[in-house]
Amino acid sequence: MEPSLGFVAELFAHALSYWWLILIATTIGIIIGAMPGFGSANTIIMLLPFTLAVDVDVAMIFMVSLFCASQSGGGITSILLNIPGNGGSAATCLDGYPMAKKGLGQQALVLSFVASQVGGMVTAGMSIFLLPYMAKLAYYLHSVEMVVIVLFGITLIASIASENMLKGLIAGGLGLLIGAIGADHIYSTPRATFGFLELYDGVPLIPVLIGVFAISEALIMMESRSVLSEEGLQVVRRAGWKETLEGIKWAFQRTWLMIWTAIVGLIIGIVPGAGASIAAFVAYQQARLYSKRPEKFGTGIPEGVIAPESSNNGCASGDLIPLLVIGVPGGTTAAVMMIVMTYHGVQLGPRLFIQTPELGYGVFVTMLVAYGVMLFTTLPLTRYISKLILIPTAVLAPIIIAFTMVGSFAPRGYMFDLWLTLLFGVIGYICRRTGYNVVAILIGVILGPLLEANVMRALRISGNDPLVFFSSPVANILWALLAISLFVPTFVQWRKNRQARSTPSKTAEAI
Amino acid sequence: MFSKGMTRRGFLATGGAAAAAFGAPAVARSQGAAFPSDNIQVLVPTGEGGGVDQAARAFTRVWAKHLGANFEYSYFPGASGQVGYEVFIGKREANAYNLLFGNIGPEMIMYATQNVKYKYPEDIMYFGAIDSDDSVIWVATNSKFKTINDLVEEGKKREITLSTSRLPHPSTIGALALADATGMKVRMIPYGGGGPARAAAITGEVDGCATFLSSSLGLSEQARFLTVFNDKNRAPDLTNNAPPINEALGTKLPTLSGQRAWAIHRSVAEKYPDRLKKLTDTMKTVFDDPEYKTVAEKAGTPWEFIQYADAAACDASAKEFAELAKQYKTLLSAGK
Repeated sequence: MEPSLGFVAELFAHALSYWWLILIATTIGIIIGAMPGFGSANTIIMLLPFTLAVDVDVAMIFMVSLFCASQSGGGITSILLNIPGNGGSAATCLDGYPMAKKGLGQQALVLSFVASQVGGMVTAGMSIFLLPYMAKLAYYLHSVEMVVIVLFGITLIASIASENMLKGLIAGGLGLLIGAIGADHIYSTPRATFGFLELYDGVPLIPVLIGVFAISEALIMMESRSVLSEEGLQVVRRAGWKETLEGIKWAFQRTWLMIWTAIVGLIIGIVPGAGASIAAFVAYQQARLYSKRPEKFGTGIPEGVIAPESSNNGCASGDLIPLLVIGVPGGTTAAVMMIVMTYHGVQLGPRLFIQTPELGYGVFVTMLVAYGVMLFTTLPLTRYISKLILIPTAVLAPIIIAFTMVGSFAPRGYMFDLWLTLLFGVIGYICRRTGYNVVAILIGVILGPLLEANVMRALRISGNDPLVFFSSPVANILWALLAISLFVPTFVQWRKNRQARSTPSKTAEAI
Repeated sequence: MFSKGMTRRGFLATGGAAAAAFGAPAVARSQGAAFPSDNIQVLVPTGEGGGVDQAARAFTRVWAKHLGANFEYSYFPGASGQVGYEVFIGKREANAYNLLFGNIGPEMIMYATQNVKYKYPEDIMYFGAIDSDDSVIWVATNSKFKTINDLVEEGKKREITLSTSRLPHPSTIGALALADATGMKVRMIPYGGGGPARAAAITGEVDGCATFLSSSLGLSEQARFLTVFNDKNRAPDLTNNAPPINEALGTKLPTLSGQRAWAIHRSVAEKYPDRLKKLTDTMKTVFDDPEYKTVAEKAGTPWEFIQYADAAACDASAKEFAELAKQYKTLLSAGK
């Protein structure tokens, strides 16, 4: 099952011969990735008449390139406008937007693209050579283990809330409550839907995302003439190629961070039903935990952009592994790809790598090429894209509201979703003005349903035995790591405080 | 090893053809043509990329040719299909341009066990089924259970866990009926989708999976089929010749097959009988088109399962499932 280097080189040459198709697909992918409400799955569905008509390898090159690029594109609006293009780039807002406000938007965009593309290439490369071992991970990560992984992401609420713990926890709790709306995961009994059919499948993520981020941000923007301070305006106006190079330098000074957060994304992506949102939040939480300057996270530092972006692109490879190796799609985009592959008569599962290895491995080789192509197409553009932030808010805010409202309507076609977006816009605005963290709300909304589904499933499998959560060695290791990640920062802070207290007294004694 | 490759010109030609295909109904509409003069809107009450979606797309690919209209899809999953049905009945115009494609078995069980806001058969009718897919129980190839008898015997000692896409499903009723008939214990674990349910059985989180046969065929040698809930295994070569349940255990369990079918607002039959007739007549012609055999098999449905059923047969099947669901309502819903 392991491919030879010659075989991989042949696949590489084949994918590269379609550079023009990859260019088209990645351009579409980046644009739709940056637009809230327009995901890769919807776009690939719309383009099914094309992908079903062409040869399967061409269709796969197109779909895989578009999928990767949509993950990369999500960071653009997160950084420049504090509006995540999709759930996977929500965590990028935490440090990307503060960087942009400081006038470092161009560097942040470069960091986002380099991290996305390096992360994507690392995990695609790993997938090619370690595929059989990667696939085995799905055999060890079940509902019990997923509970702990989701909890890693949820603990980020506490980190975000560190400035005002009570308000942060209230915001996170509100998010979890909103996430609990909808039909329950076992019996499909509607809860807290207020009789609205549109809420039976849970509170839709896109209207929440657009409401609490885009609409509330647009309302905040309207209160001042520019997103940037006077100093920031000067910095952005002066920005040129030097800033692009600076961003590249900052990114590669943190190469190891790019690599390991991408691997976190890859592992989480392999679990069917997980996804880029949780991968990005967990990577951010872990990067903060192991950082030498955790207190700086959230203030606009490169690490806070690199971790989520590298991770959500690492997740892209992971998403496709269950589809190819087991024949079970890991996410919606993978499910749509499955339609195309089965239509073309491709046998998914282990036989794929025996009957048509060029397709199985070709997916990851295409990813490598697509990320490589994007490196050359996106980085020169950052200089120009970053100028978006110079648009006066009197023009920018209405544009944001109009475009994102379309994005909020597009996925489901409900008028209800537009009202929901406005409602969450007002909630988001009030939260921002009163010091409640909107990211904490979003973490609750995204991760709450995942946590509930896995807890309920694990309990049902075990016959409602709570000890099931400690029944597997992998889960127990994860619990131990979770405990460490919760207590070590507290301990380190306690030691720092203690040293700080003792240092002045010693100084006083010396004097 | 690879296709000969697509040139940029070829890409543009294919893209242009796809765009022209989408634009065709607009031309027809402007010429004031008879029904259908616009695209047909298909509502799928499950997620995109699932078995129902694939079967519908395979069918409409050929049907579009016979009907003279293209099909546009929208997906409304949630609450085991309830969301899709309620959106269709409450928010889609009853004009024969709006169709629902669903699965009679699971969705009539949902209708009978959940608190829905529509009435069958007053609000909706199935006017034609395209296939009949049998419920099965399978385990991962590395499982210790080699036969259905092994599973039943173990189930008498401990509770067996079986994954399923959703509780209101014919295969769930099949497994529960099997437990009733043999004295084994079964606990059904819903995963909210066929993909995660299959992954859980393959990766060993549960003992096995109860589902429809065609959705599991793509797993090939990773799955060992233990039994089929029908009097005959219609695809023995694809299912390691798994025995029919009653033949293996001497039980008298009913056949539990799902029929994927086209549905329409009931009022269309009175308001637009000519439109319904056109839909029905052209739908029947699809089964004789050799292209359909190719695309159906590509979509993962064995040709043996492709079977047309008219409105009366669909109605009988729907009522049968609703009755069956009532027997197991306490186990399939939260209201115990």
